[in-house]
Amino acid sequence: MSSTQTAPSPEQKPKSKSDVVIETRNLTKTYKDFWGRSKVHALKALDLDVKKGEIFGLLGPNGSGKSTTIKLLLGLLFPTGGEALVFGSDASDVSKNERIGYLPEESYLYKFLNAEETLDFYGRLFNMSAAKRRKRIKELIKMIDLDWAKKRQLKEYSKGMTRRIGLAQALINDPELILLDEPTTGLDPIGTREMKDLILRLRDQGKTVLMCSHLLADVQDVCDRIAILYQGELKELGRVDNLLSVQDVTQIQAKGLSDEAKQEIQEVIQRHSGEMISMENPTSTLEELFLSIVRESEERPGHRHIEEE
Amino acid sequence: MVVDPSEFIPFGDWFSAAFMPFLWTIVTLLAGGLAFWFVQLAVRRHPRVAVDMIGRTLHSSIFKDLPSTSLRRILAMARLAIHEALRSRVLVIFAIFVVLLLFAGWFLDVENDHPARLYLTFVLSSTSYLIIALAMFLSAFSLPNDIKNRTIYTITTKPVRSHEIFMGRVIGFAAVGTILLLMMGTISYMFVWRGLDHTHTIDVADLNYDSDRREWTGRTSFDRHHFHDVIISNETKRGIAMTSKGHQHEITVIGEGTDVQFEVGPPVGDLLARVPVYGELSFLDRYGNQTESGLSVGKSWGYRTYIEGNTLNTAIWKFGDKGKSPITSDTFPDEKIPLEMDLRVFRTNRGDIESQIRGEVILMSTDPIAKVQESLPINFEATEFATLRMDIPFGDVKYLDPISAKPVSVDVFNDLIVNGELKVGIRCKEHAQFFGMARADLYLRGPDQSFIVNFAKSYVGIWMQMLLVTLFGVFFSTFLNGIISLKATLAIIVLGTFAGFITAIQTGEASTGGGPIQALVRGVTQQGAETELNVSDGARGVIEALDGAYLWTMNVVSQIAPRYPEFNTADKVAYGYDISMDLLLRHLTVTFGYFMVISIIGTLILRSREVAA
Repeated sequence: MSSTQTAPSPEQKPKSKSDVVIETRNLTKTYKDFWGRSKVHALKALDLDVKKGEIFGLLGPNGSGKSTTIKLLLGLLFPTGGEALVFGSDASDVSKNERIGYLPEESYLYKFLNAEETLDFYGRLFNMSAAKRRKRIKELIKMIDLDWAKKRQLKEYSKGMTRRIGLAQALINDPELILLDEPTTGLDPIGTREMKDLILRLRDQGKTVLMCSHLLADVQDVCDRIAILYQGELKELGRVDNLLSVQDVTQIQAKGLSDEAKQEIQEVIQRHSGEMISMENPTSTLEELFLSIVRESEERPGHRHIEEE
Repeated sequence: MVVDPSEFIPFGDWFSAAFMPFLWTIVTLLAGGLAFWFVQLAVRRHPRVAVDMIGRTLHSSIFKDLPSTSLRRILAMARLAIHEALRSRVLVIFAIFVVLLLFAGWFLDVENDHPARLYLTFVLSSTSYLIIALAMFLSAFSLPNDIKNRTIYTITTKPVRSHEIFMGRVIGFAAVGTILLLMMGTISYMFVWRGLDHTHTIDVADLNYDSDRREWTGRTSFDRHHFHDVIISNETKRGIAMTSKGHQHEITVIGEGTDVQFEVGPPVGDLLARVPVYGELSFLDRYGNQTESGLSVGKSWGYRTYIEGNTLNTAIWKFGDKGKSPITSDTFPDEKIPLEMDLRVFRTNRGDIESQIRGEVILMSTDPIAKVQESLPINFEATEFATLRMDIPFGDVKYLDPISAKPVSVDVFNDLIVNGELKVGIRCKEHAQFFGMARADLYLRGPDQSFIVNFAKSYVGIWMQMLLVTLFGVFFSTFLNGIISLKATLAIIVLGTFAGFITAIQTGEASTGGGPIQALVRGVTQQGAETELNVSDGARGVIEALDGAYLWTMNVVSQIAPRYPEFNTADKVAYGYDISMDLLLRHLTVTFGYFMVISIIGTLILRSREVAA
């Protein structure tokens, strides 16, 4: 069981239509060949809403339609049927892009530009003034911790560095809605943790995040609601905690229990006709072990902790 | 020099005549494009969906995207295009150009009679080819590479409009080409000037002195593969090295007596920008009657027609228009009629091969009640393949007084040019010899313009060609991949260059044996092009239909494609003629027209394209 917890989400209130940031109605995408014959049904009649201020996850295996959905919402693809609305406008309306940021699956950036030039270019596309661009670029480069490499061309960057720049360009306009396509894919555990923390911070700032991933553990850690797609169809939709909670099992964690106390607890359960499933010491996650080792190494370089057998 | 008849039309007249056909062409192209778009969507989706999609795209493009145009975004896209061009090592083109100039001496003909023309043609042609090649490669691959590498995702997901992407690319690549052109133009000018700059020496011992005329005659030294004959006046202390290799030198006398020396100045007259004032050409036949054209002497190229010698066969140029552009005393500020002519000679017998064929100029009035209808002939000798300049002083213009039957001086403006119009007639004096001429072969020479400015104007012509190629390259790249875009752009250049020839093929003027399918059948079945095609009626029908469709398509596309040769003004500069503002304005207007239309169509195609498909 992961000890990483999501930040507590706001109390649920009845949501009005204006709280809906993304809305799809019967959204369908079928790829056709040159002669118009259907080849691949990438998405079939998808209905979902994404509400303001939540982190929404699109899950599914490869080829389930996750990226297709995001591309339809961005206007990179046109629907075969149904509609997709972003901020109430059709997805093909370019003006909606003023309010969104997009991190593609791979950071498709111009390798011959350096970090500053890259962010400056995208800032200009948002019609930002020179002063505003300079300020924002400085903030973002500091946020992604690439100040030391800002003058190097992107072709010299590692994957993690490129991903961070990709994220920075997605946030250049301080968007209200951020679409992340496989944000943690290819990142090491530290990078993954940082990405997840950032996503949570964005939510806490009131932004809406739509992310798609096939890495279930990452989605579970951050998402408020998820939709599960399989072969273009929506299979499940709802809050993560609701979907994942096992209603008929009670989990208790306690510290400092003696053997006698444990015996007594077993007897109480039996008295109430319950069934003891397990009583054992919980395990941490490999992620937490890795992060703690890294933290300790940074504090005490050269020291190696060896567990006694 | 060959001059296209369309160049005689003033810009205002040309624009008035061309505007409506241009509009109709645009409407037809747009309607055809919309129809194709509709059919494609209707077949693949549904007619209702097609109407909805096309309607929404057009509506949002016109009423939402266009008003939201941002210059900052366009310039950002342009800057990106410039970065991209610089990273793809476009300066290699500049390096190739410099290397060509450095080694030009190895392959340019140093014995050429007109080195200025040779140098100018060389630099202008090489600049033109290199810059057009650059424009093709840059423009054809840029967008397809963006789509292939998916870098376009991070652009189209920003609030960037399709027309901003399109125009940014065009402007960016045009900017790179412009900077390169400036560099190449500067170096070209220095190359030409440096290559032509030279002088000679004159040794007084090699000259003959005529004490009656008080002048020296002789020759200069042999430098740069030529020498000049000289005439130097001891009175004015000035002389001239006569024309050789298309130029002259001014000579200054320094000193006196046995210490006299001669200083030869730099070459003059080889880098010119003459301003020809063209007239309208008509003919009189051998009996003096009006006729439509001159004679044919059997040459296949009909640009020039001929007049027969020792007859009343006359070629007449009419200058001025009393309504629009009358001839006034300002036209002849030096009180001379400055004629230049570039006549051809057709000999039916050798005659005196050492002498030129003699002709005569007659000045005529267009007013039937003018005091002087026709001047006495002024003789000249035709200089074939060289421009002959005749400055006819007013005092030399005489007519035969009907009362005294003696030659009398003419008051040119009161007696001859009475209504702002003047006719100049040319006759050949020698029996069985012919003079050939076209409208542009005789003109009044206006005050020369600056050669440097004219040279720069020719680079404007190259710039327009580059812009058109860039435009078409980016246009094709909105829906084709890189290689195919490149080929399509090249095809447009070829079709535009040979448009006249393609039309002649379609109409059968330029070839026999039908179109490509028929030619293939003839080749396989070994039937000659002049014989009737020996196939069944059905097969002939199919072949002719296919050929007809193919040739019709080629003809239509070639008519729409820009006529690149018309933008090429290298010949004018090389031959020393000013590129008129009328011509420049016309080219700029045509370029702007293409820019508008191609941008609109390219934008709509990009707008309707699924970049992630």
